[in-house]
Parts: sequence; structure tokens; C-alpha cells
Amino acid sequence: MIPFDVAYYRPSTIEEAVQLFSSLEAEGKRPLYYGGGTEFITLARLGRTFADAVIDLKSLPECRILSVTAHELTFGAALSLSTIEEANSFPLLTKAVREIADRTARNQITLGGNICGRIFYHEAVLPFLLADSRVVIAGKEGISEQSIHEVFEQYMRLSPSQFLVQVKIDAVYNKLPYVHTKRRQQGNTGYPLVTVAALKKDEKLRVAFSGVCPFPFRSLEVEERLNRKLPLDVRIANAIEALPSPVLDDIEGSANYRLFVLRHALLDVITALEGESA
Amino acid sequence: MIGKSVIRKEAWEKVTGKAKYTLDTVSSGTLHAKLVTSPYAHARIRDIRTEKAYAAPGVRAILTGEGLPLTGEDLRDRPPIAWEKVRYHGEVVAVVVADTLMQAEQAAQLISIIYEPLRVVGSPKEALAEGAPLLHENLATYQKGKYTYPEPGTNIAHRTKIRKGSMEKGWAESDVVVEASFSFSPSDHAAMETRCATAEIRADGTVVITASTQAPFMIKRLIGEYFGEEVGKVVVHTPFVGGAYGGKAPVQLELLAYLAAKAVGGRKVSVWNTREQDMVTSPVHIGMEATIKLGATKDGKITAAEMVFLFDGGAYSDKAIDVTRAAAADCTGPYHINNVWCDSLCVYTNHPYASPFRSFGHCEQAFAIERTIDMLAEKLQMDKLAIRERNAILPGNTTPTQVMLNKSNVGNLPACIARVRELIEWDEWQRIEINSRLVRAKGVSCSWKTSTIDTDASSGAIITFNTDGSINLITGVVEIGTGTKTVLAQILAEKLKMDINDIHVKMDIDTQTTPEHWKTVASRGTFMAGRAVLSAADDAIRQLKAIAACILRVSSEDLEVGYGNVFLRDDPSVYIPIKEIAYGYKYPNGNAIGGQIIGRGHYILRHLTPLDKETGAGKPGPEWTVCSHAVEVEFDKRDYTYRIIKAVSVIDIGKVLNEKAALGQVMGAMSMGLSFASRETFFFDRYERVLNAQFRTYRPLRFGEHPEYIADFVYTPQIDAPYGSRGVGEHGLIGMPAALANALSTAAQVPLNQLPLLPELIWRTKEGWFNDSV
Repeated sequence: MIPFDVAYYRPSTIEEAVQLFSSLEAEGKRPLYYGGGTEFITLARLGRTFADAVIDLKSLPECRILSVTAHELTFGAALSLSTIEEANSFPLLTKAVREIADRTARNQITLGGNICGRIFYHEAVLPFLLADSRVVIAGKEGISEQSIHEVFEQYMRLSPSQFLVQVKIDAVYNKLPYVHTKRRQQGNTGYPLVTVAALKKDEKLRVAFSGVCPFPFRSLEVEERLNRKLPLDVRIANAIEALPSPVLDDIEGSANYRLFVLRHALLDVITALEGESA
Repeated sequence: MIGKSVIRKEAWEKVTGKAKYTLDTVSSGTLHAKLVTSPYAHARIRDIRTEKAYAAPGVRAILTGEGLPLTGEDLRDRPPIAWEKVRYHGEVVAVVVADTLMQAEQAAQLISIIYEPLRVVGSPKEALAEGAPLLHENLATYQKGKYTYPEPGTNIAHRTKIRKGSMEKGWAESDVVVEASFSFSPSDHAAMETRCATAEIRADGTVVITASTQAPFMIKRLIGEYFGEEVGKVVVHTPFVGGAYGGKAPVQLELLAYLAAKAVGGRKVSVWNTREQDMVTSPVHIGMEATIKLGATKDGKITAAEMVFLFDGGAYSDKAIDVTRAAAADCTGPYHINNVWCDSLCVYTNHPYASPFRSFGHCEQAFAIERTIDMLAEKLQMDKLAIRERNAILPGNTTPTQVMLNKSNVGNLPACIARVRELIEWDEWQRIEINSRLVRAKGVSCSWKTSTIDTDASSGAIITFNTDGSINLITGVVEIGTGTKTVLAQILAEKLKMDINDIHVKMDIDTQTTPEHWKTVASRGTFMAGRAVLSAADDAIRQLKAIAACILRVSSEDLEVGYGNVFLRDDPSVYIPIKEIAYGYKYPNGNAIGGQIIGRGHYILRHLTPLDKETGAGKPGPEWTVCSHAVEVEFDKRDYTYRIIKAVSVIDIGKVLNEKAALGQVMGAMSMGLSFASRETFFFDRYERVLNAQFRTYRPLRFGEHPEYIADFVYTPQIDAPYGSRGVGEHGLIGMPAALANALSTAAQVPLNQLPLLPELIWRTKEGWFNDSV
């Protein structure tokens, strides 16, 4: 059980949500925006997170949008992963979210929760990093739209009073060739040893990673090395030298083994994408 | 009736979600306990400060280990709450009792404990190394059972020795020798229902406990022994149990519930494990390190076997001693070997302490033995099933503990092997390359098991009649999910030639009114309770015949009972319905004779003896079920990943009592064995703390990841068992780790001698990355 009292709020507008946060804070409380709750409940039960109040964002209409127009796709942050999976409007995203947790959990986990939570894999963010998406963020200063690259640096750089409302991508991205692969310690469920998402735009590979380092990332340096006109194994070796941090070494797998898995994952991903252009 | 797939008596309760488990019934006024556990695996407790917690709202009591007696079934080495020292990560150091669970949890956070970390012992080998820290300095002073042999001054809680034949002769007769070492860490049972118990002490001193347990009668006995309670004043209730797998055979939380209730003036207290605590605080699946050396002649006859099993019993010995003894008793596997030397040790480490795990030491030792036999076959260039057939144990042979086998007390292993050969299409191929990356391979194993339970273990049954002639069946077997109580009803229905629907089964256990069944363990429920049920039926039949003889004015020897009547054997038209005599018989003039028919029966295991300290000679159990197994895998040579395609178990079951139930038991056991073998383990850091005590990171096999399961049977009756049936609850599991390891070793062409068989392990073995971390 959660060993502390938590007040539960379910505002119906963005303004109300932001206001609630401010007023709760003013009362000396520690509020927290809340999506599906899977992470909050686990961590709270174990005493690894705390909040006096949770502000559930699932009733905000803006957060529940899933719209596809000729130019743009919009994903509300409070959509459950299984909703996104079933709608299948951005195939790379569909593939990425389908590999997260299990179906029962995905009915609960929200897009915003996966991207903004504390558990560091954030695999749902990879397609958005590749698609140069824009994020809509609400906070005390109002609503703003920014490039994901300005906000996501290892994790979502939001202040506690801000929350993710939507993620938008240009429609062109959902037509591009893509590959997504998730490699685990064992079996079909669980955290990644290595997840690689890739798409090809203007004959250039774009590649984003989770599980390799203690944060997900897309690195222009890594991409540049992967796109050089060199033999594939050399490009992969060069790219690995440019990883933004030492490779993870934990209970899911040792660093050396992760590197072994990463090399093959990259080999498969690039072969699949370059094979397509040929 | 026998052999029919009768739907479980409790099926409707369970599929509608209405079945009640221990904590589903919470009465008002129940107090709640929170366990405070150790963050260290080995540390001196310098100070425990509870003042602040006491002052917190709702707190009724705070228990520490001070002054508590030591506990343990074979060796009393464990304080119910740690005192002065903690010996594993997750060990209980204090219990907070409060009005609500939340208050208990909040107060628990206010307890401050100062630890002084001690050097940790992380494996049996480390524990036995010179200069290793001693977990139990006072081992010599611990109270112990007559057949428990701790070695004071070491970390050895118990050693079982098996000495059969002459090793000198065995090695002299051998042309080839293979030797290999094996290891795996402790893991979890992962039962759906976490362990829990409630206790209250009534005004008259009656201790009432409700627990999710396999051993309600042992709880009763131990509360009496440890705390001096009158055993007749301890009453234990056990409703349905949501999975146990051996993890609910030890008595742990029940002791805490009792102590907590005592501390609050007898009020009812509920103690339960969170999932995380259930994984480390309560006893775990044992770990092991082993070395096996086999000698054989050129034509594959095994002449000598030398084995050392170092079991990781964890911080306290408790049931682990028994597990290590059982592994030794059957140490050769189902093979006839004349010269055997085995030492099986229960070793203390700073790991969570061990308990039985479905198969009771057998899947663990079989992994080591069956891998070595494969290596021997490779060395001899012999067929891997043929070498097993060549050495198969048969009637007329003796077991490692020198029990003479006959046609009843052992099944037909060659027949099991022959059936596996067909089912896995062994002779078609054993390894084929599908393309440059994928290879398919098959692995086989054999297994056997007897129960190594107390020599005086007994089981009782009572049957009472209702006015409509239907029967209530009351036995001490706990319904842990195996369907045993339904099978017992089938045994009774067959015996009384009556409709199974007219047999009402009492599902829950109340030790005050339910006859004792020693423990619901060791695949012994159907055999022992079945015999007791048959004996109770005989008793009822005798009574029914006696009264019917009187009414019908015939000799009772001429009567039969069946189809709801007592009738003349040679003229069934002369009969009286059971319902007219089940509560006595009333003559037309109002006179009455007889009374309610109550059948009672019991069974006690016959001629069992403890194992001799020096040679291991002795009779551990009544019969050996034998099995043969196979696994087919598809292995990716580039990535070292694999899929399990097919798993086969052929078991000599004697007689099938309930076909679907038997298949369910075998397939369920196979699934558990493959899950353990392919992915389940605790990961420890260098301070021996468990890093993955939750299902986010401890991930058993899921539905959809399972292979095709093929379960089949051979039928060699055990003459003294109900309808000839043999134990079958665990056996599907025993050979799975070995068969999977053998298949993957063949596929990867490298010996895989550790578990779990994660792709990283195969990669590491193949590419020689042994000095890496993790």
C-alpha cells in the first residue's frame, strides 16, 4: 500500500490543472501530475517517491487528442499506450509502444507518463526524437510549443509545475521507412538491453537508442558516423565510440554484452533500412 | 470414475473469483503488522530505537528479537526476528503493530536502527573457504534433531553422506571419466498469493491462526514447541492457498503473527508480505554449486559416481537441511550405479534462507547429473538416450541409499525413455542447421523422485453422511491448487460406487476438526490421504453392512455397498437405501437402532528409516516415480538467443486418476522448470543484496512464451497405492532444467553448466567473457 495520504484531483481544463498545482503548492503541499499511475504507485509503495496530491490529467481534452491531418499528427499525452497501438497512426510509434511492458500495463500507462516518468528507458520518446517532433507544454506561464530537442535532453526538462500536453509530428514522418528493434535479457517482456529506433529521411539514417546508456538519446554525432560512406562494421564501430556515456552495466546485462547486442542491433537496423533503398 | 477428468470441486468458486483466501476475510478490529527488514545482508545490530515509532498514532506494539527463542525445523538457528545480528538482506528486524496498515507503515519508517556491516558470504564456496566469516558462531549450542549433523566452527549446517560400494573398484572398472562443475543462485517461487497469516489469542488462551500454508498441522505443533503453548489450544485454519510450490511449507510469518497477537493482549493481528518482501524476506528457492565426476566403461556402463552438492541454504537452515538430504538420497538420478560417493551439504551464506521448491532438491541435482551424463555420452560418442537406457535403474537394483527396488516401488524407466524417443522424434535428428544462423537441437534427461518426509508422517480422513445419503469428505490435505481434494473424492466415489456429485468436499482446514495430514508436500497427498480415504470408506462400509444385516436379517458378509444402497450380493433386489440407515434406522413402530455413520481412516508410511550418518543407508520414501524428458530449441548462433519449441515429459504415473488434472500438473510443472532454467534468478550486488525483488525485473515465463507441451504417461502400478497411482505433482519439473541445458549445449556446441540459461550466459561461455561483472 501507499504509506501516505494522497489527495486526488481530476481537473477538466488545462488552466484548472495548472491553477491547482499552484494553489496546492501555495498551501505547502507537494503536488504531482499524474497519468496512468503505474510508476507512481510502484515507487510510492516502495517509499521512493512522495506526493501530497496528484493531479490526474486524463480528463483534459487536449491530452486525449489523437488527430491525423494531411500535415500533422497530434498525440495527447494522456492517451494510453494501447490506444496509440490500436490507432496505429504512426507505425514506428506503434512498434515502439507495443514493446513496452505488457498489454495490461499498456492499458494504463500513458504516453506522457512513459516520456516524463522517472524510470529512465522512456522508449516512447525515441520515435519523436527521430521525427523532430514538437511538444506542447503547459505551465504557469501558459501553453507553449517547442522542439522536442530543446526539452528532451536525457530526460524531459520540465519544472514540476509543467506538464506535457501533446506531441506533434509532421505527417511526412509517418510515411518514411523505419525499423525498430528491442532486445531483452530474455523473453518478450521487460526492460531493454538495447532498443534501437531508426528511420530514413533524405537518404540519411536517423537513429535513437534506449537501454544503451542510462538515458534515451539521439546523437547527431552517432548518426553522422553511421551515415559515412564506409563499410558497415567500421561505421558501427565508429558510432559506438561516439556514444554519449559509458554503456550501462546492470542486472539486465553487462556492458560488454550490451555492446555485443548493440552491434548486432545496429547491423540489423541499418541493413534493413539501406536494403530498402537499394 | 477413476481416470475421468472430473472438474474440480472448487472450480466454480475459483473461476467466478469468489474463492476466499487467507486475507480475503478481514474482521473488524483486526490490527495490522508491518515488517521492518534489514537493508544489509550481514551486519551487527548496534541499536534499535523505537521511541518515535511508539509515539506515532495507532501503534499498539513494536516487536524486536530480544528474548525470543530460536526456531528451525531440524536445527534451531533462526530467531523469528533478528537479534544482535542480521544475516540476510530482507531479514525481519522489527514488527510494528498498529490499528491500520497505513499507521503501521508510517510508524515503521520512524524506527531507527544502527547497523555495523560485516563481511558477507556470497556463495557456498566462499562460505567453506578458509577464513570465511562464520554466520553462526554458536552453531555448537543450537538445539537440533537427532539426524541433523551441523559442523560447528564452519558454515556447514548439515552434511548428508552417501557411501555405496567401493569407489576404488568403480574407478578401476571405468575406461573413461568425466568431471564438471555446476552452479546457480537462489531464486523465487513467485506464487500468486504472497505469504500471510493472522493470529489471535482468545480469552481462554486458545491461539487461533489462519495462514496461507502447506503445513497447518506443523504450525500447530511448532507454536507449541517453540513457545510452550498447549498444542491442543492452537487451532490453525487454512482456506484455499493461491500457489505454494514448497514456499509455504516452512513456518515463518505465522510465528510473527502469534508473537504480535501476544504483544497486544491477544487481539487479532494480520501479517502479510508485500511482493517485494515475499521474494526475499520469506524463504526462497535454493541455490547450488556442484561437482560431478562419473566413470564408465567403453560401452557406457557407469561404474562410479562421485558428487559434491554444496547447497546455498542461505542464512538459516530450516527446511533447506531436508532439501539437501533429499537431493543426496536420490543423488545418482534414476540410474543403477554400484559405486557411489556423495556429500550433500547445507551451507550457510548471507543469502535469503532457502525452502523447498517444487521437486525438493531434485531439479537442482538432476541439472548437474544429467548434464554430466550428456558429457559422458559425448566422450563415449554414444547416443544420449541409449546411455540412459543402458544405466536405467530397474527392479532388483538398489538405490543410492541401498533400498532394494521391486516391481511396485519403482516405475519403468526404459518404457519412459522409449516413449520420449518417439515423441521428440529423437532418431530423426538431434541437431540440424536451418540456415547460416539458426540451428535446432534437442536435449534429453531422465529423473526420479521419492518423498523424503518424516518416517512417521501420517494422514487421516473422516467421512460423514447426510440424510440424503450423500457424503462429506474431510481430509487434512490443503487445496494448494493441485486439485487433490477432487481426486480424493473420485477415489471415494469409486470405492462406494456412487455419484461424485454426492460427495461434498470440505475445502478448508481447521486443525481442531480436520484429521491431520502431515504436510501438503512431496506429491504425497493422493497416496497418503487416498489410502486414508479408502480406509475411512472401509470403516463406513463395515458400519453400513452391520446395520443393514440386522434390518435385512442377513449376514453382513453377503452384503455389498454401492449405488446408494446396501444390497445382497447375489440378489440386489434385497436392499436398503443408505439414506435410511445413515442416521440410524427407525422401525415402523418408532424403535430405532444404529446412529450417524462416521467413517474414519488413516494411513502411516511404512518401514521408512532415517539415513545412516556415515553411509546414507536407509529408506527415505515408499516409491520412486521415474520420468524421461526432452526439450527442442531453436538457437540463433549469431545472437545467442533461442526459442523453446517443444517440451516433453513422460512419467510413469502408475494409474491416471483424473486425466486433465494429471496433465495440468505435469505441464504446469514443466512450465515452472523451464522458467527457472531459462530466466529466473536473483541478482546480488557485492554486498549480497538482492537487486531484483520485484516483477519488473524478476520475470517468470509468461503465457504466450511457452513452448508446445507434450505430457504422456507410462502405467506401472504401485501396488499399495490407491488404484496403483504414483505421485505426479512435481515430476514434470525435475528434468526440465537439464533437458534445456542439454539442448542448448548441443545447439551452441559449448557446455552450459550454469543457470539460468540467459543468452548472455551462452555468449559469455562461448566467447570466454568470464571476468566480466554481473
